[in-house]
Amino acid sequence: MNREALLRVNLQARYSNKPVLHDIRFELQRGEVLGLVGTSGAGKSTLVLSLLGLLPWRNGRVTGEVIFEGQNLLTLPEREMRKLRGRHVALIPQSPMTALNSAISLQRHFEEAWRAHDKSGRPALMNRLQVLLAEVQLPSDVPFLSRRPSQISVGQAQRILIALALLHRPTLIIADEPTSALDAVTQSQIIELLKGLNHRYGATLLYISHDLVSVLQLSDRIAVLDEGRIVESLPVAEFGQARHPAARSLISALVVPPDVLLSFRDDKEGKLPLAGLAKRQ
Amino acid sequence: MTFAHLARWLLTGLVLFAFVVLLVSRNSYSNQDRESPLAGASVLHPAGTDALGRDRLVRAAFALLLSTGGAVTASAVTTAAAAGVGTLAAFGPASVGWLAMLVCDVFLALPWLFLLMMVRSALPLTTSPANSAAITFLVLAALGWPACARAVYRGALGLRKAEWALQARAGGLRSGQTFRYALPNLLSLLLPQFLISIPAFVIAEANLGALGLGIGEPLPSWGGMLLELDNSALLVQTRWVYLPVALLILMLLLLEALVAEV
Repeated sequence: MNREALLRVNLQARYSNKPVLHDIRFELQRGEVLGLVGTSGAGKSTLVLSLLGLLPWRNGRVTGEVIFEGQNLLTLPEREMRKLRGRHVALIPQSPMTALNSAISLQRHFEEAWRAHDKSGRPALMNRLQVLLAEVQLPSDVPFLSRRPSQISVGQAQRILIALALLHRPTLIIADEPTSALDAVTQSQIIELLKGLNHRYGATLLYISHDLVSVLQLSDRIAVLDEGRIVESLPVAEFGQARHPAARSLISALVVPPDVLLSFRDDKEGKLPLAGLAKRQ
Repeated sequence: MTFAHLARWLLTGLVLFAFVVLLVSRNSYSNQDRESPLAGASVLHPAGTDALGRDRLVRAAFALLLSTGGAVTASAVTTAAAAGVGTLAAFGPASVGWLAMLVCDVFLALPWLFLLMMVRSALPLTTSPANSAAITFLVLAALGWPACARAVYRGALGLRKAEWALQARAGGLRSGQTFRYALPNLLSLLLPQFLISIPAFVIAEANLGALGLGIGEPLPSWGGMLLELDNSALLVQTRWVYLPVALLILMLLLLEALVAEV
């Protein structure tokens, strides 16, 4: 593939004197879904914060480069970086209940997120919400939107967060274990939703998880993160042949081999990893 | 009906009663009945008169409204200032937070009452009674915010680390937006701070008044009325002097009960 990658990462990160990410190198093509798996403590969340330029907020430091659409995000001034966050790069977080502000309504969440990047006011937002909330299968009526986060279910909260991430139609969506707090049924619904977004709109997705089953369901390519390093990066179909011990132990923890899981993969709209791109409207 | 409900009703009743007394009574707080100084209860003066022949009930009622009104206003100013300083310190750069808290610590380390007396006594003695009342409560508000700001800072620091604050930044919210976004979460912290400050300010005003540095005569205040307790001969003569004190303590206890219920 000779096209310029959407995202090219080569970074190291540390908290005060403790290095957490030693050598993170990967590329992400437009329209691709890259699954990043790793055990707890491998540095997944640190990586997410590094990519968004938010590690200083947690007293960490990043070196190296994160090239997104040709510009290095790590050298970008905070002013420019803010404009990028939420608009071009969006985050779907791990724990839906704590990621929403419990003191304000769902509507207010959307209003603030809208105002951060768009000056067109409330009517435009309400139009966008009609489409967006239908997309994530949530009601868009006033009584629902005036609820507080504590008055909706965890699954609904995660859909709200996905809608918030999609609000400005970002080029890249980073999903940080978006299903880990959900029950099995809701989990598979959320996976379907993300898959649909990728197929319909060609959304590029960096899907980070410790759950190899969901990664196998969703990804075009899988990278394995172990002790702050990317130790393996393979197309999903070849993941069964991974050699690194960290990848092997992830595979051996599965109930059935990855090939069996892949045969159940429900790719109705596109068999090949990048087929979604061709269907992009 | 819970105790807090009862307290709320009693407090409202007390304030209404003070209003009614002021409206109904033919006496004003500064009217001197030269014929009957230090009189006992009578139809004309239901709670007797003071050494200058002024009606005690009217003065107590006016002092109640003045003290409560002043303390509520001062408390609102203090809480708002503390909310601003505490939140900005928590959400701003680390150096700003450090500096703001240093200022708070210096303020807290100062001998509070002594400073209050110094500031108040530095002001001209010829100020009008109304100005003296305004200045007293302004000084109280100006000196009262640091303890509250510290509490708000701690609370806001917790909010800054909250997952949703990070998510708000990941969504590209501006600093001002994040600040507004965080404010409703601080209400549960600010409301008790506001309520706690009210009785504290009433007491502080009474202390200042008892030292002769509070609200100027002829305006009545708790402190000014307590000054009369100096005279033990007067205490023997009329026990009505106790009335404002009893009312003051009752009101404070009610407010404390309200706070505990929040």
